Amino acid sequence: MTIRQFAFKNVFRNKRLYIAYFLSSLFTVMIFFTFALFAFHPTFSAEGFNQYAMFGMAVAGGIIYIFSFFFVLYSMSSFLQSRKKEFGLLILLGASDRQIRRMVFMENLLIGFLATIGGIATGILFSKAILLIAENILIIEESLPFYFPTMAIAVTFISFILLFLCISFFVAFILRTKKLIELIKGDKQSKGEPKASIILSIIATILLAAGYITALQVEGLDVLAAMIPVILVVTIGTYLLFTQLSVYILRYLRRNKLIFWRKTNMVLFSDLSFRMKDNARTFFMVAIISTVAFSAIGTLYGLQSYLTKGVKDAHPFTITYQPWDGDNEEEVNQDIETINKIIETGNLNAKMESVELNYFNIEDDNYLIVSATDFNRFAMLADENTVQVEPDEAIVVEQSQAALMQGKKASEILMGLNVPLTDGQKIQPSTVIQSEVLPAFYGMYIVNDDKFNQLGEPERTDYTVAWQVQNANTDQIIELGRKISDQIAYRAVVAEYTIFEINRGYGPILFIGLFIGIAFFVSAGSFLYFRLFSDLDADKQKFRSISKIGLSIGELKKIVNRQIALLFMSPIIVALLHGTVALTALSNFFNYNLTLEASIVLGSFALIQIIYFLIVRFFYIKQLIKSIS
Amino acid sequence: MLQLKKVSKIYEGKVAYRALTDIDLDVESGEFVAIMGPSGSGKTTLLNIISTIDSPTTGEVKIDEKNPHQLKKNELAKFRRNELGFIFQDFNLLHTLTVEENIVLPMTLDGKRVKEMKKKAAEIAMTLGISPILSKRTFEISGGQAQRVAIARAMIHQPKLLLADEPTGNLDSKSSKDVMEMLVNINKQEKTSLLMVTHDPQAASYSDRVIFIRDGKLHSEIYCGESRQAFFQKIMDMLSLMGGDSSDYSSIRV
Repeated sequence: MTIRQFAFKNVFRNKRLYIAYFLSSLFTVMIFFTFALFAFHPTFSAEGFNQYAMFGMAVAGGIIYIFSFFFVLYSMSSFLQSRKKEFGLLILLGASDRQIRRMVFMENLLIGFLATIGGIATGILFSKAILLIAENILIIEESLPFYFPTMAIAVTFISFILLFLCISFFVAFILRTKKLIELIKGDKQSKGEPKASIILSIIATILLAAGYITALQVEGLDVLAAMIPVILVVTIGTYLLFTQLSVYILRYLRRNKLIFWRKTNMVLFSDLSFRMKDNARTFFMVAIISTVAFSAIGTLYGLQSYLTKGVKDAHPFTITYQPWDGDNEEEVNQDIETINKIIETGNLNAKMESVELNYFNIEDDNYLIVSATDFNRFAMLADENTVQVEPDEAIVVEQSQAALMQGKKASEILMGLNVPLTDGQKIQPSTVIQSEVLPAFYGMYIVNDDKFNQLGEPERTDYTVAWQVQNANTDQIIELGRKISDQIAYRAVVAEYTIFEINRGYGPILFIGLFIGIAFFVSAGSFLYFRLFSDLDADKQKFRSISKIGLSIGELKKIVNRQIALLFMSPIIVALLHGTVALTALSNFFNYNLTLEASIVLGSFALIQIIYFLIVRFFYIKQLIKSIS
Repeated sequence: MLQLKKVSKIYEGKVAYRALTDIDLDVESGEFVAIMGPSGSGKTTLLNIISTIDSPTTGEVKIDEKNPHQLKKNELAKFRRNELGFIFQDFNLLHTLTVEENIVLPMTLDGKRVKEMKKKAAEIAMTLGISPILSKRTFEISGGQAQRVAIARAMIHQPKLLLADEPTGNLDSKSSKDVMEMLVNINKQEKTSLLMVTHDPQAASYSDRVIFIRDGKLHSEIYCGESRQAFFQKIMDMLSLMGGDSSDYSSIRV
């Protein structure tokens, strides 16, 4: 038997110990491979796909790769920690440091190799599904057919064999053989109960509260200014929360005999407070990683919804045409003719309305004033409420979009003015309504038709034409939009087509963000899984002795259930809270309600985590019960 | 063979704890020495220091005129695999390996040829009566068998000094007897020096000499005379003497 054979036997004959490390490595490879599979798809390389998107993907690939490196390194070192005693024994039998390093190196390389192969194989199995998802998110005209991903396989294989080689070297060197006695007694040594400082616990509370309050209070551009300090404060606060505050609370619970000595609480809390020291750092890391994932995905999703919603709101009609200032009547007529023709060739029915938008001078500024009839014509076309305007009143119209503007709202300015007539009379504005029917970025007045004729000469006149196409599906309208934007760029806007274009440009970013986010999230889950299963043997021993004193299976399940729930949920709950605050700040920044988007993103992550928790709990309890009976 | 000069061990910490005080000990080549003493007397610490698992705070350990604590790391590894053999209370076999692989482990570390290792393993398994279980895994064999495998592993490279920490601690009386007889055989035939820490007076009675430690100090020693039975009785007497406060007994006995 050589060292190489020894290493092989270690791996193959002790699958349970290695499986966790192996699986998380495999998963990492799979994520990277799926990404590569997508990035190297022939459709993209052939089409001359968006250069920025390709660059973005390369960067994302790099991020996933670097993250994989640290993740595998962490997994490996926590895995080696659990084998202290074995190394001690080998040293005692006369193994030199070099031999142990070689053994670990071999094992690691073997696992790395298998994980790479396994990850690629699983990746190929799921590749069709991934491509289908990608197709839908990315909005690519051509479908992404299944292909044999030679390039992706090659890149993944080489990258990860390199990665595992590096890590194997790395691990072999950080495997500093401590004092032999520490290694041999490794699993018997108590880590000691961590101490909590009350001052630091209070600081943790203050930091978190300050960060949250600031994040929730600021609005508009201030959000950007507050972002970095808040992130810093909350990160430090989170660290102290797990290392100090939680320990302090646990100690308080221990001191309180009413709680601590109640039924199974003693077993649960005593263990938790002892393990908190190791768990604290993992919790912190998981909470921060998950927060990053939640916020990134939430932001991307929110931004997309914000952009598309904005377009939809600003354009209630299928087609909106507005000539530029310099355009003469002939050009305008030609454009309208062209649009009508395009609608005809598409065999579509459309109603058209056009209006002159007149700007009048009120107190040295130009303001848009329209007659009730003109407004109602457009309102009817957009299928919105019409207005009734009395002769002695003016209605102020404001676009909800205008809320993004800095300074005073349009309605406030307009309500403060009077509309002067040529006969010297003045009309008082009466009410404010919100409507996007006519393009009035700075707000406008609607006046009674009779009074409109008494306004005098306008300072400036714009022209707007709108078409509302009936009985057409989205694809037809997008097709229409493509033709129109080919022939009349910028002047004519087809809302559906613009949204389509936004989604298309946005797809890759969303996809990449989703990918990285999920990769982070899954890794965070694996950290927790590792933490949990490295304690399995200690737990087995503990429950074996407690069950001898008399612990029913039901009670055991209850304890373990709570223990795992705390372990699995507390960092995620913190991350969800962080994420909620971050997304609220984001929606304050845009002044756009992101509640729906945030709930979808955070809710689905919470759901995934709960499923993960249930699965892990099932296997953990099964193992424990098996070891007891 | 083995010489200890004024070996002391102090565990640093909030309260420094003196585990061993000025231990002097000489073990002749081929001698079988048992170390006894109540729990916490420092006997395992002493064994750990001799076996290079732990290092002494002051004093000197010499095995075959060499001080293992002054060797460089690689030399120490070689020293361990060539000069020392270990037997533990809980066997400490590697459960990923078969019985045979466990036995040859020290030789593989030394890079010996497979043929040679096979032959040696077969020989030693024959002497220890574990030939039929060579291909079994460690969880498929009994405690007595496991300790014999551990002995085989400790002996395969013919070390000069064999160190045993409670080798019978986890065994029933029949297995204990077998294991002790094997150790005596090895000691007599191979002329291997043997140092054993034990609680068990029965096991200790197989030795040539028993050293008693109490509170980290050498208490006394007794040599085996003509009969093992008489030796066992002397050990029992000494243990009962050490068990309580010695002054209590002295008034009765003297």
